[in-house]
Order: sequence, then C-alpha cells, then structure tokens
Amino acid sequence: MSIELKMAWRNIWRNPRRTLLTISAIAFASMILVFMLSFQLGCYETMINTSVKISTGHLQIQAKGYLKDKKMRLVIKDPEQVAKFLDTVEGIDTYTFRANGFSLVSSDTRTYGVVVTGIDPLKEAHVSSIKSLVRKGSYLKEDDETAALIGELLSHNLKVDINDELTILGQGKDGSIAAAVLTIKGIFTSGIDEFDRNVIMMGLKGFQEIFSMGKSVHEAVITADSLGDVSMVKQEIQNNFLKIKGGEYLAVPDWMEIMPGLLQGIQMDLVSGIIMYIILVIVVAFSIFNTFLMAIFERTREFGVMMAIGTTPSRITKLVMFESICMTIVGILLGIIIGSLVTLYFQNKGIYIAGTEDILKQYGIPDRLYPRLSLISATAGPLVVFVITFVSSVFPALKIRKLKPVEAMNNI
Amino acid sequence: MKKLILIVGILFFAVSSQAQMTAETIVKKAFDYWRGEASVSTITMTIHRPDWERSMTIKAWTRGESDSLFVITNPAKDRGNSTLKAGKGMWIYNPKVNRVIKLPPSMMSQSWQGSDFSNNDLAKSDSLIKDYVHTLEDTKIVQDKKVYSIKSIPKPDAPVIWGMIKLKIREDNILLSEVFFDEDLEAVKIMTAWDIRMAGGKLFPLKWKMEKSDAKDEYTRFVYEKIDFKKSLNKNIFTRTHLKNPDI
Repeated sequence: MSIELKMAWRNIWRNPRRTLLTISAIAFASMILVFMLSFQLGCYETMINTSVKISTGHLQIQAKGYLKDKKMRLVIKDPEQVAKFLDTVEGIDTYTFRANGFSLVSSDTRTYGVVVTGIDPLKEAHVSSIKSLVRKGSYLKEDDETAALIGELLSHNLKVDINDELTILGQGKDGSIAAAVLTIKGIFTSGIDEFDRNVIMMGLKGFQEIFSMGKSVHEAVITADSLGDVSMVKQEIQNNFLKIKGGEYLAVPDWMEIMPGLLQGIQMDLVSGIIMYIILVIVVAFSIFNTFLMAIFERTREFGVMMAIGTTPSRITKLVMFESICMTIVGILLGIIIGSLVTLYFQNKGIYIAGTEDILKQYGIPDRLYPRLSLISATAGPLVVFVITFVSSVFPALKIRKLKPVEAMNNI
Repeated sequence: MKKLILIVGILFFAVSSQAQMTAETIVKKAFDYWRGEASVSTITMTIHRPDWERSMTIKAWTRGESDSLFVITNPAKDRGNSTLKAGKGMWIYNPKVNRVIKLPPSMMSQSWQGSDFSNNDLAKSDSLIKDYVHTLEDTKIVQDKKVYSIKSIPKPDAPVIWGMIKLKIREDNILLSEVFFDEDLEAVKIMTAWDIRMAGGKLFPLKWKMEKSDAKDEYTRFVYEKIDFKKSLNKNIFTRTHLKNPDI
C-alpha cells in the first residue's frame, strides 16, 4: 500500500462524523438506485411474463399479414408440419396451436361481438395460464367440442353462468356462415379486462368444424425457455422456414410485435424512471461536492504546513483524491449490500401498493409487485454514483494547486 | 346601383335555395324510385377477393324506406340464414341453431355476411335522406340524359357514419353511383350501378358493385336476377316470426 493511500485512509477517519455523513449520503443514494432499478425491472418482467402467459406466448408462427389484419383466411395450412419442425428447434419450452374467429355471441337476452378462440386443451395448459385462471366451473377436456370457457366480464354482460347455453354466429373460413350452440363449462378471470370481456375459448377440433377450417390453424403459440432466449429462437425459426412446406408464407412475430403497447408502456416508464434517477444523482453529487469543498477549506492550514515541509501540490491533490475515492467505494459497497438485502427481502415478500389495483390490472400485473435483483440492477446505479462523485471531487482537489504555503498556514 | 346589387343579391339567394331544394328532391325521388313502395327480388351476391371468390343467392323483400328482409337461398349450406331490418333494429336468424339474434350496436360496422357492405349500410339505408344536406354540384349530359352530381354533407349532430357522400343521379331518378367519404373526406367505398333495363315494370340498374377505394381487386357485386315492384307488402313479412319461416 502506497504511503498516499495509507495517509488517505487515516485522514478520512480523523473526522469520523464528516466521513460518516458523506459515506451515508453515497450509500443511501446507491441503495435507493439498487432498489428502484430492481423494482422497475422486476415489474417489467412480471408485466411481460403475465401478459405473455395469458395469451400471446413469447413467439408465434402465423401466416404473413395475419398479425395486422386478423383475416380468417390467413392460416397455417399444415400445422402438423410446423409441429414436427418446432420439435427440432432448441430453446423452445412448449408450444400449442390456436385458431381465432370473430363472431357474435348471444345468450337468451344479450348479444355481443367477441373473438372465439379454438384451443388444444392439453397443450394450451402448458403454454398459457388459462387453466389456472378458470375460477368457476372447470377447464376443457381434450374431446370437448361444444364446451366453452368464457371471460368473467363477458359472462356478466351476457348474464350467463356455467352450464348455460351460448349461441355463436360468425363466418367460416370459406365464407359460409358458422353457427353453433356452446355450453359454458368454465368462467375465467385473467385480470385483463379486455381479455375477460372479449374472449370465448373452445376446443380446437370443434372450432375447426364450425368455422370450416379443415386442419388449418391461425397461430402456433410458442413459449421459450426464458425471456432472454426469445430472439435466439426467433432467429432459428426464421432461418429454417424453408424446411416447412409453404413456410415462405409464414412469419414469426415475437411478443414485442404482438403487443407493441406493452413495450411502449415499458419504454415510457423507463424514461420517466431515468429522469428521476438523474435528479437523484445530481442532488447527491451536489451534496458530495459541498462536503469535499468544505473539507478542503477547513484543512487549508494543514495543507500549507505539508507544502512548507516539502510536499508537492500534486501529491496533496493525489492524497485528497484517494480520500474521496476511499469514501465513495465504502459508501457504494455499503449501498449495494444494504440495497441488495432490502431488495431480496421484498423479492420474497412482494410489495402491496394499496389503491393501485385497477391501474396495475390494465397492464396485467398482479396486485403484489416483486422487485428482481440482477447484476445490472445492483451495479448500474452505484456505478453512476461512483463516476459522479469522482467528478465532483476533482474540482475541490484542483483548488489545492493554487495554494501558497505561507498564506495557507496563516489560514485558521 | 344599390338597388341593382340588392336585386342581384336576392336573385342569387333565390336561385341558390332553389338549387338546394332541387338537390334534396332529386335525392328523395331517386331513393323512392330505387326502393319503390315495396319490392320482392332475387339477387346473386358475389364477394370477390384477389385470391378467392364466393357467390350466394339472396331473396329480398323491401317495404317503404326502412323495412327489409334478406334470406339466403343458396348455397345449400347457408340456406335459410336471414337478416331482418325493421325500423331501427336489425336481427339475424340462423336455422342451424334456430335462434334470432338482435345485432348489438357494436357490431354495426362489421361486414354483412363477409361482403363489402357493412351492417350499417343496410340498417341506415334511409339515413341518406334523413341526416344529410344535399347540394347540387354539377349537371352533365351523358347519353342524352342529364346526370346530377350531388354532394351530401351530414347535418350537424346527425348520427352518421360518413363525412361526406357524393351521388350521381340520372334525371329519370336512377342512382348511378355513390361514393362514401370518411371524416377526413377521403374516399372509402364506391358503389356503382349499371346495366339499366326494364325490370319489374320500370327502368332499373340490374348490376351493382361496392368496392373499397384503396383495394381495387376487392369488391362485392349484386346482380338482380328478378325484381318485382309492388304497391304494398304485408306488414307481417317484416317481423321476427316471419324471419324464421320466410317463403323461399
């Protein structure tokens, strides 16, 4: 250890109160940043995963143009081929097929326009959370062809309950009229109002028959092993489309393309978060700048004596810089440790913010929020604090170079 | 001099209000001519898309300005599906599930049986005379007959779908074309009629086409196979009971 570093370490503990104050300011800022960033990223991940789990999946394979127009005629003609292909792709956790048709649904008293989705009851249960969202009645069985699951709000609007009959009336793939009577088997509540109000689910086979779909489907819904694998899997599928017959007519939109609103919401929130962090960091920077400056004014006499016995100004500057770096590092480490502990605590327990349920519901977030500690969220904020405190300590330190030994010694 | 200006001014107003009157009458007359007092017709509807085409035969009854009943007779798979419009309400019936369903307001902008006509086009057929102010823009002579170009702007607060409608009406009350504009006054849909012949006792265009203005190869064509204009039709035809059991 160089003599400067040793001196710096001793110097900062010569005035423990000042040092502790400075360190705790830095530690507090770092702690807040660690926690807030973890909280924000945790919310985003929850939002994405919940939304993805409810309906869209991480990725989908669809006919080109289906995402935009949702036209009944834009189908995956041969889902078996696609299934065979998907079995060979790495990084896919599971997948299922769906078909959608816009249709009128009516009970005895009311009529609404809804999306009827045909699902494969067995596979669907692994891809989406629909099975666990059925709050009343039961989930579909594999061979249920005229049974339906209906959103809670829709059942309320239609004034129906389980075992009641629903008439659906829409248009089949060939343009013919699709009509059927379905029996409500279960009522689901996803928390996303739009979904609970507009969706009816039924067995894929029954759907294909009613809507004259033959074997074709509209979407292959894919869940990747993790959110991070999505782009890799997407690339892999895109590169190998030509292996599927008719693959040139297919597209692989990911969740960001399927739900652009979600991504935009996240980006907007991130920007407002960053603005807040910048303000926080600036406040911290000024307080640290102030502390350093005061320290140097207080110690003018000491520096004068050191210069008088032959210490060069640059050596003193170096000494002061070491002092500030020591304090910053201690502060940041403390901040990261405390911040991480607080984050970990809430990561297990969750945070309940009273009165925000309705807003959160719209984004599909459950009413408890969980921060998520990661390497990025634990280090990004403190790193910025480190840079800022370093910069704000340079200016006071440079002041030392202008000191004249005699004048400085006369300073009180 | 002042007097002269006044006289010219009065004359000008007189003429312009005269023009508005005529535009209104032209539209009203054309509409009445098109609908007749009552009519029974058989229509072949063809929905054309770039990669696909589908035809169906429809039997239609109309009475006055606002009552209509359409029943699909062909293809066999869809036979008996029917749509009733009576007053402001609209109902559809499907024989397979044997249910009459009232169309909710949210469905009115959806297409009717997959065609380029929306439910609104059917339900609000009389809106053109009730909710719009018509002005005569231009008169041309085409094949020895006058053709009026009329611009129709919705009345303030009228519950309408279109921002503007442009009509071409021949002097013998035959509607030749109707262009629908959205609120930004961009053309959305164009309906044209041609093949004007004697049918059911009067001159009538037997072929109609509705196309979207931005997709040229997508249209719905109506061909009247048979049309009879009648003095009146039984009121019971336009009821929900009859919707289930039309005489086709």
